[in-house]
Amino acid sequence: MRSDRARTVLTLVVSGTMLLTSACAVANSDAAGDAGSAGGGTLRVVLTQEPPTLEPCESSLTATGVVVRSNVTEPLVERDPASGRLEPLLATGWRQTEPTTWTFGIRSGVTFQNGRPFTARDAAFSIERAVNSDLACNVDGYVFGDEKLDVRAVGATRLTVTTRTADPILPLRLSFVEIVPRTTDTTAKVRIPVGTGPYAVGKWETGVSISLARNDRYWGKPPTYPRARYVWRGDASVRAAMIDKGEADIATALDPVDAAKDTTVAYPNNETTALRLDGREAPLDDIRVRKAIGMAVDRMGIVDALLGGLARPAAQLVPPGVVGHNDGLATTPYQVAAARKLVQRAAADGVPVHRRITLVARNGQFAGIAEVAEALQYQMARIGLNVRIRMADTATHLQYQLRPLPHGVGPIALLIMHGNQAGDAAFTTSQYLLSDGPQSTFGTPRLDRRIAAANALSGKARQKAFAEVLAYQNEKVAQYAYLAHMRGLLGLSPSVRYRPDSATGDEMRLAEVRPVAAGNR
Amino acid sequence: MASFLRRRVVSSAIPLVFVVLGVFCLARLTGNPVDLYLPLSATSQQRAEFSAAHGFDDSLPVQLWDYLGNAARLDFGVSLRTGEPADAMVLEAFPITLQLAGMTMLLAVTGALLVGSLAAYRPQSAVDRLAGLLSMTAASIPDFWFAIMGVLVFGVALDWLPTSGTLGGPEVWVLPLATLLIRPFGVLVQVVRGSMVGALSAPYVKVARSKGAGALRVVFGHALRNAVTPVLTVAGDLAVGLVNGAVVVETIFGWPGIGKLMIDSILQRDFAVLQAAVLLTAVTIFALNILVDVCHALIDPRVRQAVPA
Amino acid sequence: MPAPDGRIPSGAATSSRSRPPRWWLLLGRDRTAAAAATVLALVFLVALSGRLFLGDRAVRQDLRASLRPPSLDHGFSGLLGTDVLGRSVLARLVDAAGTTLSIAVPAVLCSLLIGSALGLWAGYHGGVRESVAMRVADVILSFPSLLIAVVVLYVFAPGAMNIVLILAVARIPVYLRTARAEAAELRSRLFVDAARTFGTPASAIIVRHLLPIALPTLLTVATLDFCFVMLTESSLSFLGIGIQPPEVSWGLMVAQGRQYLRTAWWIAVLPGLAIMLTTVSATVLAAWVRLATDPGQRWRLTLPRKRRGARAAVPPEMIA
Repeated sequence: MRSDRARTVLTLVVSGTMLLTSACAVANSDAAGDAGSAGGGTLRVVLTQEPPTLEPCESSLTATGVVVRSNVTEPLVERDPASGRLEPLLATGWRQTEPTTWTFGIRSGVTFQNGRPFTARDAAFSIERAVNSDLACNVDGYVFGDEKLDVRAVGATRLTVTTRTADPILPLRLSFVEIVPRTTDTTAKVRIPVGTGPYAVGKWETGVSISLARNDRYWGKPPTYPRARYVWRGDASVRAAMIDKGEADIATALDPVDAAKDTTVAYPNNETTALRLDGREAPLDDIRVRKAIGMAVDRMGIVDALLGGLARPAAQLVPPGVVGHNDGLATTPYQVAAARKLVQRAAADGVPVHRRITLVARNGQFAGIAEVAEALQYQMARIGLNVRIRMADTATHLQYQLRPLPHGVGPIALLIMHGNQAGDAAFTTSQYLLSDGPQSTFGTPRLDRRIAAANALSGKARQKAFAEVLAYQNEKVAQYAYLAHMRGLLGLSPSVRYRPDSATGDEMRLAEVRPVAAGNR
Repeated sequence: MASFLRRRVVSSAIPLVFVVLGVFCLARLTGNPVDLYLPLSATSQQRAEFSAAHGFDDSLPVQLWDYLGNAARLDFGVSLRTGEPADAMVLEAFPITLQLAGMTMLLAVTGALLVGSLAAYRPQSAVDRLAGLLSMTAASIPDFWFAIMGVLVFGVALDWLPTSGTLGGPEVWVLPLATLLIRPFGVLVQVVRGSMVGALSAPYVKVARSKGAGALRVVFGHALRNAVTPVLTVAGDLAVGLVNGAVVVETIFGWPGIGKLMIDSILQRDFAVLQAAVLLTAVTIFALNILVDVCHALIDPRVRQAVPA
Repeated sequence: MPAPDGRIPSGAATSSRSRPPRWWLLLGRDRTAAAAATVLALVFLVALSGRLFLGDRAVRQDLRASLRPPSLDHGFSGLLGTDVLGRSVLARLVDAAGTTLSIAVPAVLCSLLIGSALGLWAGYHGGVRESVAMRVADVILSFPSLLIAVVVLYVFAPGAMNIVLILAVARIPVYLRTARAEAAELRSRLFVDAARTFGTPASAIIVRHLLPIALPTLLTVATLDFCFVMLTESSLSFLGIGIQPPEVSWGLMVAQGRQYLRTAWWIAVLPGLAIMLTTVSATVLAAWVRLATDPGQRWRLTLPRKRRGARAAVPPEMIA
């Protein structure tokens, strides 16, 4: 009968409801005690995205490095972001014993989080695994290029590393290699690392959180917080809200809109934004046009209006503090009329200035990038160029960014953001300035020679040589129209004290975070 | 009924294959994900090795054949991004979205039936106008705007609710559910009211009233059953839309559901995870449609008689 | 003046003066519907011709006039404030109106026409045709529209046309299934049987008999869908895969303005209000149109407004 049918349907609906609600209860049974409450000794950090992996040899990836580096694993040598000097960590000292060989003294009395002792053999293994193996680690490409290293452990406390050609900054490069036990898998990347750092990975609840616990076997000074917990939220306003509400102690990558609050701290984050102009395609192959673009960009206007004042106009691809930064370079003055005249002169000489240039920018690369792209397009159009914008996702943007560069797309002005984590201009020039650099569209033989010469130097001579390389680039090659040295915005709850430095975006050292003692602030 | 079910399940298999094929080809149209997963200075030899290891250098039919062969053995590949098996990742993310979608639809349908019927019973009355206004407003609010305002107002300013996340008691459900609810609720109230107005003017309703039936019995006993057909269809479509990804809610509130997994795997060209996710959601959608059809057949005997072969 | 039985007097009985068409009179009686129609007409007018009056005000940037609140100090352009690039929000709203409607209207019309035609045809014939149509709907429904959006956007050329295509195709199943359900329910009715017996071809039955009855529901679904399409376009912009700069739509304005919700609310709230006003007006008007096109319900519109609410849902001639 009809009422029976109705009853059946009703029963189904009711039982379905009960099933779903009981499922809810089950799913939320993991109500950990410190789920968002302050105190209890857990440092709560909210990131922008879940790390794809915590494999230490991928720690040059920002999303991985911010959790792993110097928290779970440690390198032999650590760069001090403020002074730029290299500090001993798992190595006690180092010397260039031969032109192509560096010898490192290895610290004794250190144990891994799994109880095994740390010796030079583990250091040698870690370097081999990161650089010489088939794992295709990100560190390998970012820091070492095509180099193959000859690594040898001499006893338990000495390590020698030999390169093919003399490399004065090898210790700096090695600061990116995180040390793992020699029992780590060499055929596949690991998801959860073991290292020597002050925190050990406790639990990784996929999609939800990563929990760290203080390592009692740590060889150095124990950190203040016994536990740490990372969560992630894609939206910056939600991250800021978590700080305001006390659900998190540290929040990364907030929007410039929140810069005025006293729970936020701005810091220079090593990133520099610029327009890379494809010098192989007309009209960008004319240096007058390229320089005119540099003059047409209203850097201060963009910094004040679009970046919340949180950046400094740039004149080069490396920020202050990096070896090779040229303090004498002034930012190109904002001169629209002069830029227009330059373009007109080029046009009079037959350069096809009305050929459409495509400005490619990556969605979400930094807060406000779409508006910056629109501003740049408007400013370039004002001096007589024909520019259209193409917003792209990461994968598409990478196709424009890396060699082999795409064919048949016309002249491209690529909006890039380059982060020099290492602190030496060699990493920037080898990628962006060389004629065949993986992220460079063109160069000149003279610039290549200058870069090669600078690479062989060290100390003050190196600084001077690279500074001159950068000045030469601006004057004679002009592949880039610079925008700004960016600053990151960190949210800090009133109960913690932490001073971010230029490395914070890539490597947040939890041991440097201290709770504010009750009563003083 | 059993043969009906059997036929529906069988006839759903072919579209499933089409969906899988379509996603497979479309994903590969976006190119080789080599750039995303190899270090910057990877040599062309390393790129060739990467492509060979994952089969990206084979022709499309060969890749497809390999994939189908593996799928038959229930091997859905490994994520390029995390290295985890794709089916594990998908099966972990799916229940979360399912719970969200299920609760949302339940609340939306129940609420809409009540409010819509009430509004339809007295058309043009104050209740009707208010319900109409509210439901239309609810159906026109952008979801992410509502979510962020909710976080700012209820999470921070008023401090009544947590801002985001999945840990905690029932209060973590309030904002995500509210955000997901408003549109289906608004839409369903409109649809219920629309079809109930029609149903309430049908002859048998007048007969029932003239026989002295009370209002409630008229509405729920007689009119509702006949008005429910379009409501069921629309509700089914809305549910499907929710299953396909409550992406915005999952992104803002940090719920690791399948919508977020899908868009992440699209943007990162993580083909194995994308294909596994689409397969799972497609199966669920087909199952949902079969369920809706069964409900149609249960409620309306005329449909049952004319059941498709 | 309505006759006692509720019918409006036919043209022959009125004076020889030309009078406005019947539906105009019906519309005039219902103030809400009239207001909705006015709003909608205004929106369409702005969308079609607004760009002619704009000049370059919608694209003119002035980084020093960034985020100005609405005021009368800066002339007409500053009436609704400026966005972060110093562009006039009013001008942007007008520009965006054109884009938004040129996406929403074609998308809804396309999917309405194709989906309803397919659905009615499949529902009427039943059998294999019905099965195939429903499976096609299932395929489209379970296809991740996000993937299509990303592929179309990033692999092919981005543009408003592609968004229309994506949205239209993605919404076809909704109309298909509603139309099929209606047709399946109607095909066993007596009048359809009678028409069939008289030898009326199937297409004629569908168009002349099924369509008018199914139309009200389909139109309700279409107006709700119009709203949905505008909001989906906004969500796609939020995810970064919708309309791309330098094109602008209301949805993109809301998505871009969301970081300024606390400091410069006018950037996100005003386009959101525009979306809401348009969709609410469309819905109200559609409800009115539904009543007007449904012969069984039209009598409601002829009642004086005051008397309508007091009645129960039963037509007066049937009581006692």
